[in-house]
Amino acid sequence: MSMRVFCATALIAAMTGTIAVADETLPISGKTCEELAAVYERLPMIDILPMEAGPVEIDGEVRDIVVGFSQTGFNHPWRIAMLEAAQAEACRHPNVSLIVLDGNVDVAKQNNDVRDLIARGVDAVLLSPVESAALGPASRAVMREGIPLIVMDRDVPTEKTLFIGQSNVTMGESVARVMAEDLDGQGNIVVITGLQGSSPAIDRDRGMKNVLADHPGINVLAVGDGQWIREPAVPIMEDFLTAFPEIDAVFSHAEESSWGAQLAIARAQRCDEGILHYTFDGSNAGFKSVAAGTFRADGNYTPFIGDIGLRAALMALKGQEIPDAAAYEEPGLRLQLPDSPTVTEANAEEWIGRGWGDFEPPLDPCK
Amino acid sequence: MANGIASPQLKVHPVVLTIWRQAGVATALVLLVVVASFLSDRFLTVPNLLNVLRQVSIVGILAVGMTFVILTKGIDLSVGSILGVSVVLFAGLLETGSMATAIPLGIAAAMVLGLINGLGVAFAGIPPFIMTLGMLSFARGIAFIYTGGTPIPILDEGFYNLGNGYIVGIPIPTLILFAVLIVSGLVLGKTAFGRSVYAIGSNEDAARLSGVPVKFYTALVYVISGGVAGIAGLVYASQLSVGTPIAGQTYELDAIAAVVVGGTSLFGGRGSVLGTFIGTLIIGVLANILNLMGVDPFVQQLFKGALIVVAVFIMTRSDRSGR
Repeated sequence: MSMRVFCATALIAAMTGTIAVADETLPISGKTCEELAAVYERLPMIDILPMEAGPVEIDGEVRDIVVGFSQTGFNHPWRIAMLEAAQAEACRHPNVSLIVLDGNVDVAKQNNDVRDLIARGVDAVLLSPVESAALGPASRAVMREGIPLIVMDRDVPTEKTLFIGQSNVTMGESVARVMAEDLDGQGNIVVITGLQGSSPAIDRDRGMKNVLADHPGINVLAVGDGQWIREPAVPIMEDFLTAFPEIDAVFSHAEESSWGAQLAIARAQRCDEGILHYTFDGSNAGFKSVAAGTFRADGNYTPFIGDIGLRAALMALKGQEIPDAAAYEEPGLRLQLPDSPTVTEANAEEWIGRGWGDFEPPLDPCK
Repeated sequence: MANGIASPQLKVHPVVLTIWRQAGVATALVLLVVVASFLSDRFLTVPNLLNVLRQVSIVGILAVGMTFVILTKGIDLSVGSILGVSVVLFAGLLETGSMATAIPLGIAAAMVLGLINGLGVAFAGIPPFIMTLGMLSFARGIAFIYTGGTPIPILDEGFYNLGNGYIVGIPIPTLILFAVLIVSGLVLGKTAFGRSVYAIGSNEDAARLSGVPVKFYTALVYVISGGVAGIAGLVYASQLSVGTPIAGQTYELDAIAAVVVGGTSLFGGRGSVLGTFIGTLIIGVLANILNLMGVDPFVQQLFKGALIVVAVFIMTRSDRSGR
């Protein structure tokens, strides 16, 4: 009996909590439209598919437009930043609202999410897939209903209205080129990848290998799976430091893993060797670490494409052509976004504030 | 150790079984260490061995709490998520307060979540697998709501030193692990509660009839597991200086693996925290030597999986033959 009372109380508390929040703030990001207006000001790509604020007319009529957004998951602030960009755009149009679904980084769940959006009769679907191939069937179902489908960040191999994303391959090349230059084409490096098997990890690795093919003097000593986060990177780097007396640089696919690697270097008391860090993610904290000299380069992979996705969806609903969208190797059209410049000490100050996330970098244990 | 593999002497048996049963998992660890020191000349060095001891501290602590639960024939799938809650609480509370408030509050919160597990299992009759599976999701939800999904950096230097400092040359996280091991070993071996934990796992009805407060002790075991997850969270947060809501994801599986490799029976009543510690070391040394040799991460997963299955296979075989 007491258990039941407890459960009921908890449930009621949870429900009232949700309702109270829904009055003022948007889901997941927890921000109000007023706060998101400030976010919009700082978005880096509002000049791509630009759109006036105000109600969106379709066929000369202003009606409520509901856009569904199926996100990979909200387990990483990068994913939340992408949503914030979309929410910031939605806030500019009083008749546009978003339904946001959390895929929990699970292809099966996201597949169901997309079908739920169809069932709820949304006007357009924004999709940032967990995994390319697995979201094909759900994408086909959207297109069959004649609903515009905008795919963001990771592609699907099936028909779509538009795919938008940056290239992790060219970004990997850009960061690796900075490293090759710093090392003068000679040196021993270790690689800490993002979650093995995930498409950004594969592409960043491919970009690095493309550049290293031209620099045979750079030797990859070992590769570890940092899973995008800090914790696994620490023991991996500790073991690499034990195994290899000379390491010149750490090429890591994520800032979090680079901070973890730096911690391992400090613990091994090898700060004075000046092991260099090359990394990716493009957070403000990462840029600060570049400015502070902890990182040499940070691949600027921006999550602020959610706004572009929503604008593209609204343009499709209005029956407008999307300028610069072109056919490519997959079915449908692609809008290739420009690579954001890799952030190094030369441009770090100017990029701080224009990356994602408003958290501070960790203390550099070598300082 | 003796509890982990208590069974009568063998007469004729394959060599592997004999080794395993007579000298237990400790022999397996020694063998692994010997092989590892041949594979890499850097393995058997003091800094590397201290690294291993620090690397295993988080999962090692979790596995101690898990041992209590598994000894009662239960399971706690929520320890990784409870660790996550304590980690974000430490980070959040340190933003405004001090270590003196953040540490007890973070661990207390973990114990409360463990208590909910315990009440559900012992008093509401919910199977442990289901109750803690629910808590796995529930607690992870708390961590995400509390942080809004964004990691909270920890800039407190004292807290950083707690996770990265040394006392008499031994990393503090390792000392915390040792403290948890010793206290748990004493509780299990020397107290009425400890003996009751084994009794509950062996035969719950018999334990009840002989006057053991089964429900109360079962609930208490989950409180311990939760509290220990909070201590593991303290090590996590202080080592890494970040309160990330995904902290500890899938650690419950690593903890279960360490307990099982360490010779504790999933069917309750048999096992020890010393065995769990050795199980933790076996998994930790394997990961370390594979990294030292620069083995591809894909292949590393294969080794780890194979080790767990082979270890348990040998133990179940020796259990059966002992009867």
